[in-house]
Amino acid sequence: MQNRPAIVAVGRTKFGEHYGKEPEKLIEEAWLAASQESGLERKALEACYMSDCFLPITNKLGLEEGFLSELTELHVPMEVTRSVSAALLTACHAIQSGAYSTVLVGGIEKMTDRWDKIRDDLMLLEDPWSYYAGGTPEVNHELMLRAYAKKYGIEGENLQKLNLALAEVAVKNHAHALKNEYAQFQRKITIEHVLSAREQAHKPLALYDFAPISDGASALILTNDTKAKAFTDKPIYVLGCASATDYLNFPGRADLTHFIATRIAMKNAMKMAAIDLDDIQIAELYDQSTVMEMVTMEDLGFCEEGTAWQCIRGKCEEYDGFYEVKDRKIHVNTNGGLKADGNPLGATGGAQLFEVFRQLRGEAGPRQIGPAKQPPKYGCTQEFEGFGTKSYTTVLGRE
Amino acid sequence: MSSEPIERRVSYLGDRLKAVRCRICGKEYFEIRDYCGNCGRKSYGKMDGIDLFYDKGKLDVCTLVNEPTNRFTKLQSFIYAIVSFHGGKIRVPGRLTDQILKNGETSDLSELEGREVIPRFRRRNAVSQSDVIPTISLAFSLADEYYPHQDYTIIQPSKEYDSAGIVGYGFYTSRFRIKENGLERAVPFIDEDAVTASVEAGKLALIHSGVDSQLVGKVYVGTESNPYAVKPIASKVAQVLKLGKEEGDMQSVDAVDTEFACKAATSMFKDAASLVNYPKSGVQYAMVIGADNSQAAPRGCPGGELDLFVGYGGAAYLFGKQDVIAEIEAWYSCTSDTPDFWRRDSEPYPMHGGRFTGDPAYFKHVRKATSTLMEQQGLKASDLDYFVAHQPNPAFPVKVAKELGFKPDQYEISLQVNKFGNTYSGCSPVGLAAVLDVAKPNERILITSYGSGAGSDSYLLRTTDQILVKRRRQKVNVKYQAENPFIEYVDYSTYRRLKTGM
Repeated sequence: MQNRPAIVAVGRTKFGEHYGKEPEKLIEEAWLAASQESGLERKALEACYMSDCFLPITNKLGLEEGFLSELTELHVPMEVTRSVSAALLTACHAIQSGAYSTVLVGGIEKMTDRWDKIRDDLMLLEDPWSYYAGGTPEVNHELMLRAYAKKYGIEGENLQKLNLALAEVAVKNHAHALKNEYAQFQRKITIEHVLSAREQAHKPLALYDFAPISDGASALILTNDTKAKAFTDKPIYVLGCASATDYLNFPGRADLTHFIATRIAMKNAMKMAAIDLDDIQIAELYDQSTVMEMVTMEDLGFCEEGTAWQCIRGKCEEYDGFYEVKDRKIHVNTNGGLKADGNPLGATGGAQLFEVFRQLRGEAGPRQIGPAKQPPKYGCTQEFEGFGTKSYTTVLGRE
Repeated sequence: MSSEPIERRVSYLGDRLKAVRCRICGKEYFEIRDYCGNCGRKSYGKMDGIDLFYDKGKLDVCTLVNEPTNRFTKLQSFIYAIVSFHGGKIRVPGRLTDQILKNGETSDLSELEGREVIPRFRRRNAVSQSDVIPTISLAFSLADEYYPHQDYTIIQPSKEYDSAGIVGYGFYTSRFRIKENGLERAVPFIDEDAVTASVEAGKLALIHSGVDSQLVGKVYVGTESNPYAVKPIASKVAQVLKLGKEEGDMQSVDAVDTEFACKAATSMFKDAASLVNYPKSGVQYAMVIGADNSQAAPRGCPGGELDLFVGYGGAAYLFGKQDVIAEIEAWYSCTSDTPDFWRRDSEPYPMHGGRFTGDPAYFKHVRKATSTLMEQQGLKASDLDYFVAHQPNPAFPVKVAKELGFKPDQYEISLQVNKFGNTYSGCSPVGLAAVLDVAKPNERILITSYGSGAGSDSYLLRTTDQILVKRRRQKVNVKYQAENPFIEYVDYSTYRRLKTGM
């Protein structure tokens, strides 16, 4: 493929509450880290693709492009999307078309400044009718779980196992985050924490099942395969990237137990990448809730429909953090996922790409998967906008 | 913010639950669409409106919300669900209303799933005092509890009468009650108010009458607890109930709010009857609604003595000349400027004139109106089958009925204040509804309302054969709501919380 897009450097901030930092400081930190790593001269950038969801209502009124221009002293084309995956997809198309050869892709979010209103904001963004009907950002996850259990006839003892498996997802992700210096929660939790939070809330899902609100920024440098070697010996190629869309209104969708957008996006990304799904060893999924991680494992094709919970259960007790499907290990959310790494909407996808980039290059330090000196060859990321309304999948590889 | 066009659209679609069906492939959509997504251009003009407002849905899956978003915090905790209509062709989000979940209560969700639910028109969420109050029908109640599903079937009238009368009526109150000092009083759920009660009562009147809502040419809504100082309730009622012919997003109907303390509705009976009787009016049916979330200051505060008697509810009467159930034979009204009860603009609660409220106000006007009408018609108390008086408390109507020479079996059936409280504008209309619920054909009813400020309207009614025919259509009558096994009793502090609303 001509003009194959390649990521040559990544950067990010710690996710969490950045009480004292302005959004400028966050994105500056992330993009400086990426440009430092690649030795990129600022002037070499031909365009910027940035993302944020709430910046205009939380911190910066006006065009974000303008404040990025001030920050970088660049006057190149800039576009703002709602997620890093969307920014990357657009940037990839530009690289492939030959329009640009070196671009900056990044994202930023500062949600905690709006801590008292953010749940209303999130729900209105996710699905206005559900918000008007009294929905919270958590309800659709809970309804999906109930619909899932009903559809696959999971009840009684099996339902308990399913609930336990979901608790293990949260425990696994927290365990991963312990080894991630950028993670929002570098704190070990136990199954008991998850279960007792659910019991206290009288809910099937509770505090430890959901991703937090976060501040943070992430950035990466994207170029084409010809130019990549000028920046690094180990570029990571974007082998496939795709997105798909579904109804805004969750109850109105055909299937309440899965995300059709993810299925379509993954199918298209895999077709583009032309690799075997079995070759993917690491996946960074959008685990806004533990249920979302479980269902997405099925939508991406890693697990059979209605079985992901069985693949998690029992396999993560050592907290090596992998799913086992047909005797094959799939490492999921090794940075801690949205649950423990944090979920600053506009920057989250960048952290997912950051993680897969590091893992494929064997630079993930204590989190590195696979045998020493033999990092995984392929990885993928999956990101949502809304509750399954838009799904983005990106397949990355060392070659 | 909330008077923005987006709010208007949300209300327009959500209040009535507007939906469409593709005539080609049968796919159904919540909201209005000109095209079917499946069939594309060829489906243009082939999307039929379908009505979910009188329909029942099924609760598919549900969950407990105990940490609502900001605008729903006053609901505390509630069940949130996905509700399907027509076997899953349409699925909408919704919350279960009319339920007080005790703190920390774990509901058995699977108990609720699969049950039938009915869309209810309610306040949508809390807004600031100066904002437009948003409403929605994505609130549901369980069909096998207090409020059952009733079909709304349009029935072609069979008989034209010489003069106008009542062709249908409905009474609505909430399932919540407070019981104190031997008195039961209706308490609105937290998302209810005079507007929602008006719509409910109107809905029941349409069901009872079998009249096509398109033929209603005028609606009057009398209330003294309109949540707005300026903005009619009647416009909301007309739009939600689709009164008059629907033309685009407008209704061909005249809608107006009326105000005269507790006689704001009864005063309009004669206007509605006259309007449909006037050959050039072009109005076939006119609806009069009296509804109140009766206001009272909390106990111990000035005006707090009213807090012992106030209730919640509304009654709607449909007037016309076809298939009349009770003809209006005569009426008489009297008025004097007597300030026995008032609320100054921008004051939250009314005040009343202590002992001034009895003899020189209530008794003087009710006595005058009733006796004058009886004199004019040459009637003695014994010539009437029923007497209905305005009932601000249990004692007044009994005292005045006795004075006027009525026997207990003539007036007792109408006494509803001890079951629902004083529903202000809905008060004497509720009494009349209780009588119409049991009256036989060719019986004579005399009703006298009273409105502070002050005045009384007396009406002489005669029932027809139709009353028996139509009675079968109305499950949700006065007795049904008074003696319902699903009534929930609340304590004083809950009562105040619910009454104050979102």
